[in-house]
Amino acid sequence: MSVKRFTCIAAALLALCAGPAMAQGKDKVVLLLNWYVYSEHAPFFLGKARGYFEKEGIDLDIQEGRGSGVTVQAVAAGTADFGYADVATMIKAASKGAPVIAVGVALQTSPMSVMGFADKNIRKPADIRGKTVAVTPGDSMSQIWPLFLKKTGLKESDFKTVSGDAQTKLNAVMTGQADLLLGYVMDQAIKLQDATHRKVYPIRFADYGVNMVSSGIIVQKDYLKSKPDLVRRFLRAATRSLEDAAKHPDEAVDAMLAAKPKSGVKDTAVIGMKNTATLYKGPDNPGDRPLRVGAKNMDETLALLVEYGGLDKASAGKATDYYTNAYLP
Amino acid sequence: MHRPLWQRILLSAWVRPVLLVIVLLAVWDLTIRVFRIPPYLIPSPWSVVQQLVAEWPRLLKEAIPTTYATLGGFALSIAFGIPMALVIAYSRTVESFVYPLLVFSQSVPKIAIAPLFVVWFGFGIIPKVIAAFMLGFFPIVVSTVMGFKSVDPDMLDLARSMKASRLATFMRISLPQALPSIFAGLKVSITLAVVGAVVGEFVGSNSGIGYLLQIANGNFDLPLMFAALTVLSAIGVLLFVAIDVVERLLIPWHASQRLDVMATA
Repeated sequence: MSVKRFTCIAAALLALCAGPAMAQGKDKVVLLLNWYVYSEHAPFFLGKARGYFEKEGIDLDIQEGRGSGVTVQAVAAGTADFGYADVATMIKAASKGAPVIAVGVALQTSPMSVMGFADKNIRKPADIRGKTVAVTPGDSMSQIWPLFLKKTGLKESDFKTVSGDAQTKLNAVMTGQADLLLGYVMDQAIKLQDATHRKVYPIRFADYGVNMVSSGIIVQKDYLKSKPDLVRRFLRAATRSLEDAAKHPDEAVDAMLAAKPKSGVKDTAVIGMKNTATLYKGPDNPGDRPLRVGAKNMDETLALLVEYGGLDKASAGKATDYYTNAYLP
Repeated sequence: MHRPLWQRILLSAWVRPVLLVIVLLAVWDLTIRVFRIPPYLIPSPWSVVQQLVAEWPRLLKEAIPTTYATLGGFALSIAFGIPMALVIAYSRTVESFVYPLLVFSQSVPKIAIAPLFVVWFGFGIIPKVIAAFMLGFFPIVVSTVMGFKSVDPDMLDLARSMKASRLATFMRISLPQALPSIFAGLKVSITLAVVGAVVGEFVGSNSGIGYLLQIANGNFDLPLMFAALTVLSAIGVLLFVAIDVVERLLIPWHASQRLDVMATA
């Protein structure tokens, strides 16, 4: 009960802060992102700016996150209504008892890649031999990395590894302490380019047979049960937002930069948004609207997590325990 | 006074903290059960113990680099902190120049600049040592300055009147009188140095307890995380006790030590 009580207090405090907004009778919804705002999150800002959420009776408050893991825990504990987080990370937490479920999967092809500056000419897995790779221990990419190595015939001993947090990875590549880092094509690649004005070449895991779903929208199971209509309305607005952002990436980026001026540089953020939108289509359901995920895709993701992601086979269950398309438009 | 054996055991200085730990563990376990706190938010003490046993070799292996970094940072703190404190204590000019800056530097959050240490010094032990030094340095300076400044002026007058040399005055009067304060600073410093070493490991390191904490965190392995924290605290306690022992040997005459002897006798 103490968690619930804490949640109530936290919710009450939030409500106090947002007093005026509550007065209009709209549902106040907190969307906790997986990370500080960058191009991947632009669709939500576009949807908010265009009033899609408002039309559904939702007063959307987009908050920045500190990693998917924290976002999942916050949603599980009820401190945030909706989370935008790595679905693989969510599955791991859910298998440990966190009562969360993915109600829409945004990135259906993995944005994971190993990247370095283009002038270093590291363009295929074999080029990684003898180089230094920067990783963040324990994050989702570092866990799938061994699978990429296996699929491409590389061994850990073929290259040097340095470990550090998210910022250290970027610093290491920028200063030449590392040649490559594990990162998302539309995140770290853009950040490196913005900081150095040098071209970055990502080798995508997905191009070498390593595919799993990535960011998605997650909610607490109780929340879903008690407010199915609100979840439906939220997902209607979110789907429209993603569709619009895919069609008009620069408007999406404009909306994001208007709300969060420090979240990127227009030109490269547009590229990031375009790269993000290419990941909306699932390999087994290319005709579907965004956020709708294919069963095969989810099965494969779960199988990968069991084999490489440290997910316990006994407690893993089946893919349908972790997602539902039932609330999508 | 002859108390029964069980009372003597119960009241001995070593048993008391252990008893408190047991009580706290029981409260922890009970809280989880009563409020049904799920394990992905707080693990049960028993699962932490299990993980502590299962992962013991790994924990021990990762504890070594963290300990090295802590001791390295602590040694640097002493090497820089005590001479600097001496200069500050004996020269008002230096004090007026340096002391405010020192306080200013202490207010800089180390975690914010720690990523730069990795940029400057690479992924080895050096950034960790520097992070430990940054945290451990300040308490040593502050308490050493205080120690030397609170030397009894009458004693110094006495030494002067007896034509003692400056060195003799320092060795016989100032240093012994300052030692208790210095040791107080050292004790605070060593526990902070452990924190500093882990901050360094969080930011960029291929080994150590901080590295293990990151992995545990990424996997929602809270029992392993708490086990690693337990080991970390144990390192802090052991180093603290080591300093305490040195203190007893060096200043057995001091009031704090005498009282302790009486309490345990």
